[in-house]
Amino acid sequence: CNGAWLQRKQHTLQPTYYVMSLYPQIMFCFGRARRSSRCGSPAGCSHVNAYKVDNWRPNLRVIYQCFVWSGSAETRRRKAKSCICHMCGAHLNRLHSCLYCVFFGCFTKKHIHEHAKNKRHNLAIDLLYGGIYCFVCQDYIYDKDMEQIAKEEQRKAWKLQGVGEKYSTWEPTKRELDLLRHNPKRRKMTTNCTIGLRGLINLGNTCFMNCIVQALTHTPLLRDFFLSDRHKCEMQSNSCLVCEMSQLFQEFYSGHRSPHIPFRLLHLVWTHARHLAGYEQQDAHEFLIAALDVLHRHCKGDTTNDNGKKANNPNHCNCIIDQIFTGGLQSDVTCQVCHGVSTTIDPFWDISLDLPGSSTPFWPLSPGGDGGTVNGESHLSGATTLTDCLRRFTRPEHLGSSAKIKCGGCHSYQESTKQLTMKKLPIVACFHLKRFEHSAKLRRKITTYVSFPLELDMTPFMASRWASTNYLPPGLYVLVRYALFAVVNHQGTLESGHYTSFIRQHKDQWFKCDDAIITKASIKDVLDSEGYLLFYHKQFLEYE
Amino acid sequence: MNKDSQMRAAINQKLIEMGERERLKELLRAKLVECGWKDQMKAQCKDVIREKGLEHVTVEDLVVEITPKGRALVPDSVKKELLQRIRAFLAQHSTL
Ligand SMILES: [Zn+2]
Ligand SMILES: [Zn+2]
Ligand SMILES: [Zn+2]
Ligand SMILES: [Zn+2]
Ligand SMILES: [Zn+2]
Ligand SMILES: [Zn+2]
Repeated sequence: CNGAWLQRKQHTLQPTYYVMSLYPQIMFCFGRARRSSRCGSPAGCSHVNAYKVDNWRPNLRVIYQCFVWSGSAETRRRKAKSCICHMCGAHLNRLHSCLYCVFFGCFTKKHIHEHAKNKRHNLAIDLLYGGIYCFVCQDYIYDKDMEQIAKEEQRKAWKLQGVGEKYSTWEPTKRELDLLRHNPKRRKMTTNCTIGLRGLINLGNTCFMNCIVQALTHTPLLRDFFLSDRHKCEMQSNSCLVCEMSQLFQEFYSGHRSPHIPFRLLHLVWTHARHLAGYEQQDAHEFLIAALDVLHRHCKGDTTNDNGKKANNPNHCNCIIDQIFTGGLQSDVTCQVCHGVSTTIDPFWDISLDLPGSSTPFWPLSPGGDGGTVNGESHLSGATTLTDCLRRFTRPEHLGSSAKIKCGGCHSYQESTKQLTMKKLPIVACFHLKRFEHSAKLRRKITTYVSFPLELDMTPFMASRWASTNYLPPGLYVLVRYALFAVVNHQGTLESGHYTSFIRQHKDQWFKCDDAIITKASIKDVLDSEGYLLFYHKQFLEYE
Repeated sequence: MNKDSQMRAAINQKLIEMGERERLKELLRAKLVECGWKDQMKAQCKDVIREKGLEHVTVEDLVVEITPKGRALVPDSVKKELLQRIRAFLAQHSTL
């Protein structure tokens, strides 16, 4: 961490299970209530000393291993079977185990209390949370040695299950504690505060960069990554774009109001993506892809400490960029003669969508045909919807006689159809509406209005939709629902244009970012805008 | 045991066996911190302790007093998400 203050979320944020709709506050720095202050009696429980004899440590470890944290499949199986109240047979009801003998009893109906009283076994352990209760003191005890054992065993169990540290709460290291002590200023995000909004000075046609920076700095998972200081730099010189992004996030969330001057960022982009160098207007989409690529390449050091777990995205990379942006596109090529299908899966960072009005015909996909009500978009105005574009993108396409492909079944060149579907959905889905047409004959901008929704359901465009919709219980579709959080727009012509963006803060507050100027925007402003790049964030994230 | 509680027991056993219960628990914990529920609970507990006096309150008193309030204050979105995950889990292990 650098700078005069620290920003922290209380627990380690793992992209794999962060739910955006619940993002109300970032806690900048969190003074954790220390255990000791929670302890009921200041003197502590004296009854615990009676337990601390002979081999109490290994014994306690075994109890944690077998009945509380149960890391191995074997211990879990046993726990599932054997952990029931010996008196009433309940599985739940705050089950506790006696620390002195093999007895499980529920706390709710006081069956564990009964056992404690009859046998004078004063201590019992909570099988769900691992706390140890003293029946004499009528309180959970806060014993340093025991808590240490509990924590160590929990860590081991998580490791066994490949969970890693992702679910653990953040605890400051010694260095972090020192930093916190030396920097007493804290910043808390409330529901209406506008921390994180900051204009960007235009350095000469650099609005293409500014609009993307605004979208990236308001990508929830990316923000969490950078604000929790997770980048471990392995770059030699100080030319790391990830480090520059870290710096940028600090600038954005510092609470300063004056526009930021992103000259270092621009310099680094010019260094690492030479095709974008120069003071001409560039394509914001091209910049986005170049930026993601450079960030991914500079992330090398961050990817190693993930328990050696294989990356679960088609780019085979665990870096934060791939974790958030990489999806997998399935391409099925079907031979028209033998109907054999050959399937390939390719990674993608964005989806480029054709628009009506371009020189490639958009329809015969009938407007609002089957599935016209998908995503609640109406065709009343006759406007094309984002869903239309996605339906077109995922429709089977006849490749024609001029594009014969060698079929593995027929062992000869045959006509075939090709269909693209989503095999793996990224956490952030970025749609690129192809508004700029560069063909041999012409270069022009397509201004066709495309309506896009605040919430997008991606189920219809998934590779396994037929298999899954019949199988999953109702309501599960919510798992592939996305929420709009940023829109990049291009105003003007191909020759002289200007980029701006809309970004979302909190759940539903929108702002327009026009280089250095930020103004409040309505949802209508956002949805009525032309749309060039649309950023959607998955609402429910599976943990992997 | 009636049918309903048999079902609950079976689901609970499956969740434990697959390690899902532990993951759900940690997920819930994280969600409740994020949405401010934990802070609310902490404040409520402090109120109760202040009212009754530190000497005269046990953990169980707190549990009894706070549990109904705590349940009521869990945001619907959190409940919904947990339910989704349990459903998805059951769909995957539908031999139950
Ligand atoms: Zn005691
Ligand atoms: Zn019982
Ligand atoms: Zn006992
Ligand atoms: Zn770096
Ligand atoms: Zn990567
Ligand atoms: Zn064939």
